[in-house]
Amino acid sequence: MKTEDLIAALSADTLPQKTVAQQLARALPVAMVISIAAFLAFWGPRPDIWTALGSVAVLKTILPLGLAVMAAALALSLTHPGIRHDIRGAALALFVVLVLGAFGAALLNAGLAGLIAALSTPSLQACLLSIPVLGLPVLLAVFWALSSGAALQPRLTGAVAGLIAGGLAASVYSLYCDKDMVLFVVPAYFTAIASIAVIGALLGPRLLKW
Amino acid sequence: MRAANRGDSAAYQRLFTAITPVLRKVVRARGAALGHAGCEDVLQDVLLAIHRKRHTWREDAPLRPWLYAIARHKVIDAFRARGRHVEVSLDDFAEGLPAAADPDPMDGRDMEKVLGQLDPRAADIVRAFGQNGETTAETAARLDMTEGAVRVALHRALKSIARLRERMIE
Repeated sequence: MKTEDLIAALSADTLPQKTVAQQLARALPVAMVISIAAFLAFWGPRPDIWTALGSVAVLKTILPLGLAVMAAALALSLTHPGIRHDIRGAALALFVVLVLGAFGAALLNAGLAGLIAALSTPSLQACLLSIPVLGLPVLLAVFWALSSGAALQPRLTGAVAGLIAGGLAASVYSLYCDKDMVLFVVPAYFTAIASIAVIGALLGPRLLKW
Repeated sequence: MRAANRGDSAAYQRLFTAITPVLRKVVRARGAALGHAGCEDVLQDVLLAIHRKRHTWREDAPLRPWLYAIARHKVIDAFRARGRHVEVSLDDFAEGLPAAADPDPMDGRDMEKVLGQLDPRAADIVRAFGQNGETTAETAARLDMTEGAVRVALHRALKSIARLRERMIE
């Protein structure tokens, strides 16, 4: 087929295509319903959920949610060539640094022994396993939506997709988790979310190819 | 491009016609070893990518950086898939858009193979628009379909073509 014939065929196809954001808005709710249903079936909220949500522990739910929102904004610019993503990337990095800073301050207060005591609980394994499991449907939905975009850096974009999924999953899981100390929450949630980001980075080049 | 996104097929065709010579020059400069038909295959991959990813251009952003980013990615990808590594710098594109039109666009070979794998009706519709210059109404009447159905069929056929070509060069 001649190139000019291909051009004629291409330009005849003017059906509008859904934007990446629209695909994300379609896929995410479905994945979240699956994830939350699984949560209600196998985990369930902690008994003192309303007290916890009224206390500072609500940050366990809000901060991962914020991470997911910032990661989603970054993922959208990463799938739109020609759109700057450095500011959104810097905002996300700053957010992570601030949270790790809070952890560092708590660690200075309590010392290494305090950290070990905080992490010596079966809740650690529960957290490290639950968040990736709850995040899996979300990760697939995010990949499905982002693959309609044009990622120029698929590995990085995959990792950011992992942050979206990890943030949302951690936010859901936090309703079950009854450990509220900074020394537990930050390292445990950070590791769990980071593990999904690594999975995303590994899958990115394969799933975001175009 | 803005008009094209609103469904203005003629404007869209003008855009393709304007950028194709520039893209062809870049591809040929990089891929002399592939021969003209091979280069034309790469060029067609790039055009398909521009078409398939057109919604990732935001109307408030300048078109050129988007276009070059898509083209650069796809040129590198297409050559890599064909077993050659190339470096493409943005300067290649920057030589200017309205380059002298190549008088004689070459045939690509890959497209025929891919059209052969498509179901016959879809291939027929792509050819009808591409080679025979039929309008939607003419194709609809000939195939006894509604115009809407023809549009959807063309859209789907181009999507399958893009997918098949990717699989073919993997």
